[in-house]
Amino acid sequence: MNNPELFDHRPDPELGTALRAALQPADDSAFVRRVMANYDRALERATVPTWEVLASWFRPGLAAAIVALIAGFVFGQAVLNSRTPESMETAMAPVEGPGLAALVTAPDPPDPSVVFTSLVESR
Amino acid sequence: MGDSGDDPALVAQTLAGDRAAFGTLVERYAPQARRVARAVLGDPDDADDAAQDGFLSALVKLEQYDPRRPFGPWLMRIVANAATDRRRRRNVRRAEPLDPSLVGGGPRPDAVAVRSELGHRLRAALAELPERRRAAVVLFDVEGYSHAEIAGILGIPEGTARSEVFHGRRSLRALLEDWKE
Repeated sequence: MNNPELFDHRPDPELGTALRAALQPADDSAFVRRVMANYDRALERATVPTWEVLASWFRPGLAAAIVALIAGFVFGQAVLNSRTPESMETAMAPVEGPGLAALVTAPDPPDPSVVFTSLVESR
Repeated sequence: MGDSGDDPALVAQTLAGDRAAFGTLVERYAPQARRVARAVLGDPDDADDAAQDGFLSALVKLEQYDPRRPFGPWLMRIVANAATDRRRRRNVRRAEPLDPSLVGGGPRPDAVAVRSELGHRLRAALAELPERRRAAVVLFDVEGYSHAEIAGILGIPEGTARSEVFHGRRSLRALLEDWKE
């Protein structure tokens, strides 16, 4: 099997001719037309017009823009409506009662309920 | 194997989008691709489907083709692979071996062109050979490829390609000798 003399290096014309006739396909031109038709179809699928691409982006893009606008509006409203303390004094000032400064400077110990109420209110 | 000297130029034109260049390549290699696919598959319709798959697959892979090398063996490797893939799918689908009567042609439109008794016998004899051996002997004796090229097409060592050709043609030559007597 490893001896190269066992193998004939030239094609056998007689066998080749007989095999060619046995395997010869009919109507090559029809086959070529069929392959080219598939080539054209593959090309059409590969080249989608730009406007189609843009159109396919339109709906999701529009939806994303609307969502972004709503989110922006809600966020903006939340920022505008939030009350940020202007100073430490304002922050510490109680809504009712004598206030933290009065409690600290008073000679008598404060009523614990007043202190807790003041702390809770300042939050 | 036809006038294949300008194959690299045709490939370059095809890559540039020249439809006619691809058409010329298909026309040039269609008979060979269809024969090779038929050697693998037996059935002419399946063979045409596989040959077409091969051409379209080659088109997709065209940028991988090295223009310093001959185009034919590169294309035939793709066609042979397409035929082998199709045969595997068919075997899974049918779960039965290659039918010699199918290989013989039967009542098909192209049977008119290849209805000689010798042709029937040769196709039946080919069907009896292992798939790789069938392809090897057709590539060597019909298409004129060298053992090294066949090795490249079938993805086997060159020594194995020689052996496949040798054993394949031994069976077919015996049939041919019987026919002559």
